Amino acid sequence: MKPGAFEYVKASSVEEVLAALGRFDGDARILAGGQSLMPLMNMRMLRPAGIIDINGIPDLDTIRLEDGRVHVGALTRYRMLETSPLIQEHLPLVAHAVRRVADRQVRNRGTLGGSLCHSDPAAQMPLCAQTLGAEMVIAGPKGRRKVAAIDFFQGAYTTAVDPLEMLVEIVYPAMPGARVTLAQQTRRHGDFPTISVAAAAIVKDGVWTNWRIGMGGLSDRPLPAASLCAFLEGKPLTEALIAEASQILPDNIDPIDDVRATAEYRISLAPVYISRALTALLKGEGR
Amino acid sequence: MSGTHRIKVTVNGKLYEAEVESRRLLVDFLRHELMLYGTHAGCEQGACGACTVQFDGRAIKSCLMLAIQADGHEITTVEGLAKDGVLHDVQEAFRNAHGLQCGFCTPGFLMVAAALGEEKKVLKGDALRKELAGNLCRCTGYANIVTAVETYLEKVGGAAQ
Ligand SMILES: Cc1cc2nc3c(=O)[nH]c(=O)nc-3n(C[C@H](O)[C@H](O)[C@H](O)COP(=O)(O)OP(=O)(O)OC[C@H]3O[C@@H](n4cnc5c(N)ncnc54)[C@H](O)[C@@H]3O)c2cc1C
Ligand code: FES
Ligand code: FES
Repeated sequence: MKPGAFEYVKASSVEEVLAALGRFDGDARILAGGQSLMPLMNMRMLRPAGIIDINGIPDLDTIRLEDGRVHVGALTRYRMLETSPLIQEHLPLVAHAVRRVADRQVRNRGTLGGSLCHSDPAAQMPLCAQTLGAEMVIAGPKGRRKVAAIDFFQGAYTTAVDPLEMLVEIVYPAMPGARVTLAQQTRRHGDFPTISVAAAAIVKDGVWTNWRIGMGGLSDRPLPAASLCAFLEGKPLTEALIAEASQILPDNIDPIDDVRATAEYRISLAPVYISRALTALLKGEGR
Repeated sequence: MSGTHRIKVTVNGKLYEAEVESRRLLVDFLRHELMLYGTHAGCEQGACGACTVQFDGRAIKSCLMLAIQADGHEITTVEGLAKDGVLHDVQEAFRNAHGLQCGFCTPGFLMVAAALGEEKKVLKGDALRKELAGNLCRCTGYANIVTAVETYLEKVGGAAQ
């Protein structure tokens, strides 16, 4: 197999990417880790006229903490998220979840920005961004704009990034010391999950606050579980509370039937996985 | 329109200069242009790991990378493991543990395992299986592969400590 012919552009700055995107007038793709783009091109499900390689852009893979927010460059590879002490300390949910993405080789190459822009409805990094309420910084012909996760994920493989734009940075509210977990059902290690629940909270003196919970597999995009968070906020977490909480599904659920599961099965799994996630947090098994 | 590009790439310590088409995959470049047939092309969509090589020391799937992206970088393929006719420790471990049958998947496993060895990671059982999850084997049932890699990591990791 091989991709169809295309023109290759190696960009050395965000400005060069934007200029090249403009020149191809929407018929070009940005190449980051290539872990989703290359399979699609090898299978000729995609045949763009231009490929704009962003791997040579300096400073697009930095991780920094500023005013209680963690700024992560779009080109930051999964491997860097796995090994960064800053991510470990300030974004424990991301550090925990990234180990469940794909396999070693894919994590050596794949990038955070690529995963968010590809936006597979089952993917872990979009789920974490939605759960934590991240903001995406998008560069385009008219300058930079910030888009909140809730508006960024617009459907399966669909985001707020326009064909003439590029995602440059992801900004997360830091959650140092949070207890975190990711409960997900996968057939095999490294598979995309059928259903997933990401959760984070701060525990102090037996009281659980700052709840952030998100769910994957119940819609064409990851969903924030706002009513569930509100229900749990400020209470001591107990088995009885978990039993009640596991019935609170996010609004707007609309699961799909696909090769992994039927919509009905996904809905029946939801309370089970909410319960597993909260139980793992209670027992301190997540982290 | 697509055109060709001149690249310089170091493969197994040797510098190659070549003219490649933009769409040339790294796996096909290694096999069809450098005649290094040790790197196998299985699924060509990132799922099987047979095409795994090291790119600047990190295991990656060469069917998901363009040859042109290797310009200025260092690639190690399975042919780069043995030195002067002496098998690499990881190859020796596979031989001793009977870690292969048909051998199709073997180059990929060797390159992932060798990268772990270079990082001095001493892993066992489930933790090791997770590191090897990007590679499929249709023959062995994995048990002997895991044993081979455990033995190898213990040998090289132990020596470092
Ligand atoms: C075997 C295998 C197993 C996998 N398993 C999982 C899994 O379990 N969970 C999971 O989440 N993912 C999984 N993936 C997908 C993987 O996570 C991809 O790495 C990721 O989806 C894409 O990131 P990338 O950097 O490789 O992006 P690329 O493949 O380079 O790009 C993906 C898309 O995003 C666009 N893009 C990339 N960067 C930008 C940017 N900065 N701005 C605008 N557009 C951009 C590209 O044009 C393309 O359309 C798997 C992949 C493989 C091959
Ligand atoms: S041939 Fe590259 S992963 Fe299968
Ligand atoms: S030995 Fe035959 S595929 Fe692994």
